[in-house]
Amino acid sequence: MKLFLKFDFTKISNVVLQEKLNAHNLKYQQSAFGEIELLEKVSAQQLEAFNDSIKNYGIYIIEDAKNIIVQKIKDAIMEMVFSEQNQISVKTSVFLSEKLNQSYSYLSNLFSEVTFTSIENYVILQKIEYTKTLLIKDELSLTEIAYKLNYSSVAHLSKQFKNTTGITPSAFQRIILKRKEIRTDQ
Amino acid sequence: MNKEYINIALADDDEDDILFFTEAFEELRIKNKVSTFKDGIELMIYLEKLEGELPDLLFLDLNMPKKSGMECLEEIKANRKFKDLIIAIYSTSSSEEDVENTFVLGANIYIKKPNNFEKLKKVLSEVVTTNWQYHTNSLNKENFLLRL
Amino acid sequence: MSLTPSKLLKIIFGIGLFVILCIGGFTYRHLNSLSKTNEVIKETYTLRSELDNIISNLKDAEVGHRGFLLTHDSLFLKPYQESKQKIENNLARLDTLILANQSQQLNLDQLEIDISKRFVIFNKSLDIADDKIILSEDILLLLHEGKIKMDRIREDIAKMLDYENKLLLESQEKNEQAIGVTPLFLYGILILTLILLLMAYAKINDDLKILKDNNEDLQVFKKLTEQAEIINNSATWIWDIVNNKFEFSDNLYRLVGEEPQSFEPTLENFFSYVHEDDREGFGQQVNLMIKKEDLPFATYRAVHKDGTVRSLRAYGKLMDTTIGEKFLLGVTTDISDDVKNFETIEERNLELVRNNKELSDFNYVASHDLQEPLRKIQTFISRLETKESENLTEKGKFYIEKIKSSSARMRMLIEDLLQYSRTSNSDSEFKKTNMNMLLEDAKQELSDSIEEKNAEIISDSLPTMEVVSFQIQQLFINLISNSLKYSRSGIAPKIEITHQEVLSKNVKVLEKSLFKYHHKFTFSDNGIGFEQAYGETIFELFNRLHGKTEYSGTGIGLAICKKIVENHHGVILAEGKPNLGASFIIFFPFLK
Repeated sequence: MKLFLKFDFTKISNVVLQEKLNAHNLKYQQSAFGEIELLEKVSAQQLEAFNDSIKNYGIYIIEDAKNIIVQKIKDAIMEMVFSEQNQISVKTSVFLSEKLNQSYSYLSNLFSEVTFTSIENYVILQKIEYTKTLLIKDELSLTEIAYKLNYSSVAHLSKQFKNTTGITPSAFQRIILKRKEIRTDQ
Repeated sequence: MNKEYINIALADDDEDDILFFTEAFEELRIKNKVSTFKDGIELMIYLEKLEGELPDLLFLDLNMPKKSGMECLEEIKANRKFKDLIIAIYSTSSSEEDVENTFVLGANIYIKKPNNFEKLKKVLSEVVTTNWQYHTNSLNKENFLLRL
Repeated sequence: MSLTPSKLLKIIFGIGLFVILCIGGFTYRHLNSLSKTNEVIKETYTLRSELDNIISNLKDAEVGHRGFLLTHDSLFLKPYQESKQKIENNLARLDTLILANQSQQLNLDQLEIDISKRFVIFNKSLDIADDKIILSEDILLLLHEGKIKMDRIREDIAKMLDYENKLLLESQEKNEQAIGVTPLFLYGILILTLILLLMAYAKINDDLKILKDNNEDLQVFKKLTEQAEIINNSATWIWDIVNNKFEFSDNLYRLVGEEPQSFEPTLENFFSYVHEDDREGFGQQVNLMIKKEDLPFATYRAVHKDGTVRSLRAYGKLMDTTIGEKFLLGVTTDISDDVKNFETIEERNLELVRNNKELSDFNYVASHDLQEPLRKIQTFISRLETKESENLTEKGKFYIEKIKSSSARMRMLIEDLLQYSRTSNSDSEFKKTNMNMLLEDAKQELSDSIEEKNAEIISDSLPTMEVVSFQIQQLFINLISNSLKYSRSGIAPKIEITHQEVLSKNVKVLEKSLFKYHHKFTFSDNGIGFEQAYGETIFELFNRLHGKTEYSGTGIGLAICKKIVENHHGVILAEGKPNLGASFIIFFPFLK
């Protein structure tokens, strides 16, 4: 039997984090997703032990301030792309500078410096990844997905999809479908 | 990902192509370590014996003596040990059927060997960055399909 | 043979038989009535003689009576007594004669009364005569009275005779009446019967003639069949399954290399001519033939005594007759020549398939393997350009530029050739595909040059068809890029794609198609077009209408289109008008 699963990564991360924090007897307060305020002084040794225990889950402590801002930018972008109300019709630049209270050019430069990619590219990447998950679910047509993700037209989404991945949305859907067929056959 | 370098493996029987490939990585700003294999069998022996971390990226030429890239791909995908391995097909062929077949069999990236060194550099850098994006942003690797 | 003549004959004979029966009936009835009349006459005659006898006996009594009266001699009393007795007998016989007739009975009663009265008078006068007085007053009176009585008796008898005469006459008249029509009637019927029989005879004669003609035709037909069998190398046979008897046509003997009717026609004898390896199979086929009562073909080899081997094919069909017999009617043909031809064709076909495969393999391998060194040449050039550029003279850079453009062109040729040889691969999968999607994908593929040329592409909604999707997408890409490439400078390309379903018989190029319907796709543009004279050569491999420097192209693109369309059993046409535009029309067959 094959099961196809859908994950809520945010929830998983939060649950793991809480368990590990409790296991290491750390008093904390979660201020935002991916941001924790430790309420008591912690030794470097303790912190390292905690760091080691969460590594296996792909969770890393970002020490650098720049990294923190980048992470905040990324979180904001995720919020923008995956927001259920979807209609955040303001420009990414406006949205980010308002959200993080910094000038967009500053954020943009910082982002490129740390991630080797631009905010714009990152937004596109996230949108295309979201498009992929929606395509696999096969509940929405490409036109509906384009609308949901605030694209001006299907052609625009198609083109961006093709430019980012090198294949068309329909080819993507076909390939994933065939992969599933092969796996269920085995 | 706090590693100092990116670990790359290439299986290709063509010496010139290996030369282009390694030179291109040398010229890229990314710190890397490239291991090369002359055919599929050599590659598979290396992978089976491997105890530490898997390569971050594996480049497979389709047309190789002894064991073809397609055969390697199928063997790798059938082994749970390699389930996290990102595989890039690196081939002369650009037939739509070849491309789709390798994707269906589980390849993540399909690169048609470019006929220009600058383009090769660009393509390889794009592969590395996209791979890194997937890695750092915990994206679903099942959906990682890239054709260049 | 029609059944009506024999039916007609049956009817005629039926009528004849009926008529003869009628005649018999009539005759019997008439003879019967004749004999009845005779009887009546005989009766009348007897009656008459009896009555006559009464008169004569009465006279005898009178004579005796008178003699006694005169002589008183008792001698005379004897005849008197005798006649009295006789009269009584007469009356008794009369009574039996007229038993059936009531009016005669009455008459007879009257007669009897009168006679007895007469005898009363006789007796009275005899009594008186005993007194010996001759002719006394009383006797005279009695004599008178006797005479009157006698007259009365005569009258009675006359009356009875009259009546009897009348009866006789009546019966005679009736008889005559009946007999009068009968002969005419009988004669008429006899004539009719004769006519009918004559007709039947004529009919039988006719039928016999037809039968004879048919027989002659049959003889001719038999001869023709024999001739046809010899010419066609075929033979016929009949197998009476119930009695297990065979009948072989002459040519069947010749087919197994023997003289006609030279051996007894049995299955065993025939089997000895069947090739050893085929005997088992042939036997099974024969058994099947009987079981299924109908068998497509049984093919086997026959070996002649001189060793010649011929291929024969037999076909049998069962015929049931109404009387429970079962015949297997068969035809056997010598198909040695066909088998030989078929083998040759098969061989040639195999050779052709082999050649084609070799050619396409060669094409594929050549173009595929040529790519490798070319790609390296190009990559090394790019290395030279970036790394060694400052070490090159201007001339050197110019040469490098030339090598670059030549190798680029070579690359294009190889890629197109590869594409062409890939479309030759016929083992691709046909799948139901939405053509709109393929067109969308094709447009995606060309999006850069569409944008660059600022081209407009308008299309109808396209159908879903069973196609090899890679190929159709390639077809769309080639046609659209063709239009983009051969656009007029300064005019934005406009490509219109239309679709409609057409009836094959309404389109000239599809008239011979086995499919009733075709999808018609038209790709029209506003580009440079071409002279209609090139409408066909445009699809030939390596055929180019324009110089290499003018428009880059390999002359393979449209050849690929044609190949793809043909792979889908379709037809592609090109229509062009110089400086106005070109249209490519594609027909794909489909079933409704």
